[in-house]
Amino acid sequence: MHGVKRVQYSKEVLEARKQRDQARLKDYLALYEQVFQKRKNKDFSQDAFDSTTNILRMNPELYTIWNYRRNVMTNGIFPASDPSKVNDILSDDLSLTFALLKEHPKVYWIWSHRMWCLEHVPDGPTDDQLKGWKTTNWKKELFVVEKMLDADARNFMAWNYRRYILGNMDPPPPPSAELTYTTKKIEANFSNFSAWHQRSRVLMSLWKEGKLDEKTSKQTEFELVQNAMYTDPDDQSVWIYHAWLIDAGEDTALLRREITSIQELLDEQPDSKCTVYGVACPIQEAHFGEAFGQLGP
Amino acid sequence: MKGAESGKDDYSEYDTPHLIMTYTALLSLAILRDDFERLNKPGILKLVRSCQRADGSFTSLPNGGDSDLRQVYCAFAISSILDDWSGIDVGSAVKYIQRCSNYEGGYGQSPGGEALGGTTYCALASLYLALSQSTSSVSPHLSPEERTRTIRWLLQNQTPVGGFSGRTNKVPDACYCFWAGASLHILGASEYVNVTALASFLSKCQFKFGGIAKAPEDTPDPYHTYMAVAALALYPPEGADKSYNLPKLNALWNTTEDTAEWIRSHIQRRS
Ligand SMILES: [Zn+2]
Repeated sequence: MHGVKRVQYSKEVLEARKQRDQARLKDYLALYEQVFQKRKNKDFSQDAFDSTTNILRMNPELYTIWNYRRNVMTNGIFPASDPSKVNDILSDDLSLTFALLKEHPKVYWIWSHRMWCLEHVPDGPTDDQLKGWKTTNWKKELFVVEKMLDADARNFMAWNYRRYILGNMDPPPPPSAELTYTTKKIEANFSNFSAWHQRSRVLMSLWKEGKLDEKTSKQTEFELVQNAMYTDPDDQSVWIYHAWLIDAGEDTALLRREITSIQELLDEQPDSKCTVYGVACPIQEAHFGEAFGQLGP
Repeated sequence: MKGAESGKDDYSEYDTPHLIMTYTALLSLAILRDDFERLNKPGILKLVRSCQRADGSFTSLPNGGDSDLRQVYCAFAISSILDDWSGIDVGSAVKYIQRCSNYEGGYGQSPGGEALGGTTYCALASLYLALSQSTSSVSPHLSPEERTRTIRWLLQNQTPVGGFSGRTNKVPDACYCFWAGASLHILGASEYVNVTALASFLSKCQFKFGGIAKAPEDTPDPYHTYMAVAALALYPPEGADKSYNLPKLNALWNTTEDTAEWIRSHIQRRS
């Protein structure tokens, strides 16, 4: 387990644990045998469904059984259920996988099963509200992913999943909402590069779609970054984000302004590493060189 | 293996074939010095082919599963181990790899993702493995600017305590000493790694009763033990004692040169 420190256990405790593990292993192997047999028999019954639930709770890495579970649903359970029931079954699976994710936040199969569930939510509940169930489930998903990011703000699977949710929500959330979310995450800890990265993605798409003016919004970003620089000039996140803002460095006036502000920071905090992370960044090296030349001695 | 190819039955008693497991199985067989007499090469190529998607990426399983740079690497490694690239559309796969590259300098797990040490290795190893394919051009699809930027990002992740972290502003971890170290090795930038600090970090991850943990004071596991030893095989500290004499490592396949040679003589030169 990650981050769990070594502890000394007594002989008795170790023996008791061994006994418990052996009993668990025995149950697991019996269940494993059973589920694979059912799969071989193409058993798509409720009973088969329940056995997959039991074994996946014990071992969510069993990708063959996740696949089998979906086959049971599409071939056995869904055809025998009305849409409202299908929606309930999928909601139950979303709850099951949320519980599993809390214990195993980095198991791919759990995340991908959630996606499958969301993509199979039926139309309904009524003809006037065809997207009703879908909207409810997808909205809930954003809440789930926020819970996951509260537990570990750098879980990249959760961030990837968040981008998937935001990209597929119908109707999509307002564009400013995600900027607000990243501001909150960055303010909580500006070393969290995952949040800066998300912010850069959101801005890039807003600029591209013309929903935000690139020039004015960049100005706001430079101010945000400047605050962070002064708080901790040794933080890499800030410098990488800064380099991204400067982009290819074609804007000489902007470069000159940024060099001046970094120079001021250096005068104030001469030991800071910003010279390493910031000014010497190789992509901008050539351009900084030009700009420095223009500044002159 | 020929016997295990049970035709069209989706419900064999075995798990569905898996791209990552196929790569590790080939390496494991080579490590065990199997003669590869029973290797079903067309079957493996069929698996690889059926896993590639329209955007160039690969899924773990023929019928889906996750899809990111890890599977791309396994497809490339399998093709180069078999010395047969007919299971892959290399052009579209390379385009996918390039879409995962980001401004930090590393490669995200999938397009738009934050740069990660492990998937940066997958991207670079794939690009360089593709060079061994006769029809490809001599350039590894990396511009000098991209190469410099990637080297820079990787080096920034060597933390003051000597170990590499996997992402910007994360704590160092023994496995990233391999992912980042091997990436720098592939890029021909080994000389910039602080080998003394690296060895000092890894020795602190060592557990007094054996094995190496992800970080000092943590619990050792086989994965981090292997990765740490592999990193040291690429970066032995200067003036090290005999205990650091490790077999030469093939950074692209992530196996010893001896095993790589076994593969060349028993799989590649056979056909
Ligand atoms: Zn690790």
